[in-house]
Amino acid sequence: MTSNEDQNELLLRYLDGSLDPSDQAMVADLLRGDAGARAFLRGVAEQAVVVADVERIDQHKPQPAKVATPEFHPWKWAAAAAAALVFLAAFVIAGIPPGHVAKVSAVLGPCQYIAADGKVQNEVKVGSVLNIGDTIRTRSSSAWVKLDLSGGSLMTIAGRTQLRLLNVNGRRGFQLAYGNLWATVAESVGAKTFSIQTPTSTVEAKSAQFDIEAHSTMSIVRVNSGLANVERLADGQTVDIAADHQSIVPISRNREFAVMRQPKPVNNWNCHLLAGPGAVMGNWLPADEKNSVRLGAKPLLIGKKATIHVANFSVQCSGSPAVLIENGSKVRVTGNTQTENPIYLGLTTQRIKGGFFGKYIAKVEAEALGQAGEPWQVEVPLSKFEPKTEHLPDLPIGMELTDIWVFSPEENAKLEIHRVEFLPKEVGQ
Amino acid sequence: MSLSVLFTVALTEQDILQRLMSQRDRVSAAAWLVVRNAHTAEDIFQNVALKAMSKRTQFESDGALMSWAFITARREGIDWLRRQKNAPICLDDTILELLEHEWVDEAAAQGGIRGQALRDCLEELPTTSRDLLKRRYFDGHACEEVAAQLGAGLDAVYKRLSRLHQSLRICIETKLAQPAG
Repeated sequence: MTSNEDQNELLLRYLDGSLDPSDQAMVADLLRGDAGARAFLRGVAEQAVVVADVERIDQHKPQPAKVATPEFHPWKWAAAAAAALVFLAAFVIAGIPPGHVAKVSAVLGPCQYIAADGKVQNEVKVGSVLNIGDTIRTRSSSAWVKLDLSGGSLMTIAGRTQLRLLNVNGRRGFQLAYGNLWATVAESVGAKTFSIQTPTSTVEAKSAQFDIEAHSTMSIVRVNSGLANVERLADGQTVDIAADHQSIVPISRNREFAVMRQPKPVNNWNCHLLAGPGAVMGNWLPADEKNSVRLGAKPLLIGKKATIHVANFSVQCSGSPAVLIENGSKVRVTGNTQTENPIYLGLTTQRIKGGFFGKYIAKVEAEALGQAGEPWQVEVPLSKFEPKTEHLPDLPIGMELTDIWVFSPEENAKLEIHRVEFLPKEVGQ
Repeated sequence: MSLSVLFTVALTEQDILQRLMSQRDRVSAAAWLVVRNAHTAEDIFQNVALKAMSKRTQFESDGALMSWAFITARREGIDWLRRQKNAPICLDDTILELLEHEWVDEAAAQGGIRGQALRDCLEELPTTSRDLLKRRYFDGHACEEVAAQLGAGLDAVYKRLSRLHQSLRICIETKLAQPAG
């Protein structure tokens, strides 16, 4: 072996995290003084990301159907018998309840972990491992949790969402009781199909990137790459959803259950509170002389002795095409509060045809709402929103709007919402 | 004195995106050196691109943009490491800066053609070599796990990987030395 080869292997061991501190110091000295070693390291890093990129693209290419020609030789009988034994053993092993786990790789906001044995933890830490039967809940509109499912598969749940790991025969099972989930299911050797149950559907995928919004009476499944199979629980009807397509799965068998192409994104949105089911959280209030539509904020316990009052409006549930966030976009909300306290507006964002991106929040000071008890209308430019985590860019420009939430920490404010709009940048802006 | 010295013109949003996309492999690679996970590195590159687009500061040259992109990718990577349990130990900042300067210089000299050469070289690799790289860098398994999966010795895996990286490097240099067309 040449000294260069020794050096290169040492660098690979370093990248692998398998060197002790004295060897790590040696690597640091080597990299400071040897341009050749640095060039090798840069090369490895470039090759690592390009290998991953090429594999990602390959996995999304349609696989040609393989036609096998039957051909059998006597010597293969022995091999076949051995294979049968292995198959039998595998079958027996498959009969044992399979275990699958999910590791929390990132977490933000109030969350709750309920172990299969009923033990409850009101704090979820990065590195926590969920086993079959365990449940994780994100408890406020601004919370999210990212789960690493090994083999390149990932899931993010966000907003008010509850996810449980299930024991489903031959599959990696999950129950999405309610809320939003973004999943990247990477096809890897020996990987099992993912099976996600919602109140109205079962979604199965082996290699796909998709998102699900689940409510008690309907689920919306959007596939951005790969393929997912969806069964409507009401009648067992199934559909395949290919990339760039979506389906709404209603609980009623009398309502349409079909696959449609995802419509082109638009740059504005009006929640149309009366016309569609866009308001996904809140209590409907009786009409008064000024407003025929009034959605009262709903109390939400987000931790010990901490309650906020929230109304939430979902783009997908409203039936709108995807809404693109542009530089100069604005959120306009009309409502009423009974006290002079600030309110907060939040945006959930995701990548266009991709996974969860992040949460942004803006505070609206009490002065901007005018006199208590009087209806107000506020327009908050995108530039006033701030990311909930440092990791995020200052503004979610170029992302897709998932939902808008409005909350007040004050119960006495009696926050109610009459209208929610997402406006494009003004011409000439 | 030429006009270009008197007036510096800021890069437009389109210029920024075009420059960043042409250097995607290098910026992602710089992030990978910090986080050692190709999927996170890709996420970091996307965040860098978005930050560049929504940033109020103007970039007056490709060099300024690339220096900012490498520094931002490094910071995002370090932030990500802080949130991880059992995160890999990060290289010293001075070493990362050295590597980034070399990347910026190389980007100015070669543009984005190196990435295409690397993809062509990967296409030419035997299936077993592609499989080894996939297990290590796409599936994200440590060499010890890869050795166990393949029923090979750990030293043998390091040796094969080291030679594979070296042969890819030679393949890229050969392709870049060939006249275009």
